[in-house]
Amino acid sequence: MTPLFEQARQVPLRLWVAIITAFAVLALPSTALAAEEFEPADEFRLDPWIPIEIFGIDMSINKAVFYIILAAVLTVLVMVLVARTMKVRPESKMQTTVELAYGLMKDNITDSNLNPKMAARWFPFIATLFLFIWFSNMLGYLPLPTNTTHTMNVLGLELPTFAIYAATANISMPLILALVVWISYNVEGIRAKGPIGYIRGLVPAGVEGFMVGPILAIELLSHFVRLISLSLRLYANILAGHLLILFMAGGLVVLLGMGMVGSTILGLATGVLGVAFFLFEIGLVATLQAFIFSTLTAIYLDGAVAEEH
Amino acid sequence: MVGELLNAAPLLLAATEGAEEELSPLVKVVPGLMIWTLLAFGAAMIVLKKFAWPKISEVLDERQQLINDSISSAEKTRSDADKILAEYRQRLTEAREQADEILDRARKAAETTEAQAVEAGREKREELVEAARRDIEAETRRALDEIRKEVADLTVLATERVTRKTLDAESQKQLVEDALREIDFSSLAGGRDN
Repeated sequence: MTPLFEQARQVPLRLWVAIITAFAVLALPSTALAAEEFEPADEFRLDPWIPIEIFGIDMSINKAVFYIILAAVLTVLVMVLVARTMKVRPESKMQTTVELAYGLMKDNITDSNLNPKMAARWFPFIATLFLFIWFSNMLGYLPLPTNTTHTMNVLGLELPTFAIYAATANISMPLILALVVWISYNVEGIRAKGPIGYIRGLVPAGVEGFMVGPILAIELLSHFVRLISLSLRLYANILAGHLLILFMAGGLVVLLGMGMVGSTILGLATGVLGVAFFLFEIGLVATLQAFIFSTLTAIYLDGAVAEEH
Repeated sequence: MVGELLNAAPLLLAATEGAEEELSPLVKVVPGLMIWTLLAFGAAMIVLKKFAWPKISEVLDERQQLINDSISSAEKTRSDADKILAEYRQRLTEAREQADEILDRARKAAETTEAQAVEAGREKREELVEAARRDIEAETRRALDEIRKEVADLTVLATERVTRKTLDAESQKQLVEDALREIDFSSLAGGRDN
């Protein structure tokens, strides 16, 4: 037996199956895509899958709605299933992982930023925010058969091609979440100090006289900017990650069309970068952005009810 | 006003689109998407609040309680063990003292018994010696009497032979015995004073 043959024998059967399947799947859309013009924006296009219109508002189920609902369903399913089977003595790694996440949400995000009363009241909101955004972000890195703009022909069936897409990469989704946060902390502030007390509390202690007006204006503006910064931070991070992965993982090669040799070199170089970006996004950015969003929510809530500005 | 702001901000990113007439939903505020987000998020929050957090919190509290109980129980066990150890040491000391005492007593008893035995032995021996001496004396006395009687008879016989004359046997015997009584037999009794 030659050493090479011996090595080949040691590769598990399932790995061979995976490699062959991967080649087959990659080969299929390539023939389907080759004829069409590649438009990066198409990757984010929202075709209505099930058209719905309620009170003149387009509520059609599309790719983004599918991702949003999938994230919510996963959030609920994972947490409720683990909670139901939870044991005082942990028996599964799943439970340990969920407990770790719970500890992060409860101790690090909620309890360390809010007083006990506020923490108890707002923990469900902050924790759901964290999980919902986290699942949305993570789902965004799973290739799912959701690209209905480009279809692939498998045994005569027109199937959507595999694509990565994130609901958090649409401004609407982070924006509405930020809006909910923004309304929540302002309402909480007004409830704690009264409308006048809350407005007065926006001006830092020590500011007196004619400076109160301009400072108040700046503070009010900064609160509106929070709305933008909170949503844009999440949105831009996830969108940038997806664009990077999209361009690195073939998009650039198709757009530039540098011929056989040039495309091969560029493809290899950007492919490696694509993998690196993918790992960076899935390993850090997805969790970090969910963490930042929920932590800032806790900080804003605390700032609204805190005595001293 | 907020809506205008929202639509203005994403314009920065609209450059990637190139299409002026219609903004991509990526950078456009889509009310439908917002409502779906709100619904999904709200539903998730309600379900989690009802079915996930209380259970997780309960189990974690239970575990905390279990840990507290275990620590308390461990502390109690330890203090119990310390107590038992102290008691055991105390008892051991007492037992040792008792053992020493018992040993001491036994030794003393043994010594007493030994002394008594020696004393008893000595007494017994002396008794035996005394008895033997008394026997010897009695024997000696009897032997002497016998000799005396024999000598008297022999003397009577000898005198008869010599004198050819028989004295009255009784008076003869009386004579001899008188004579023998004057002889000192003390040397026959082993030189012992009588």
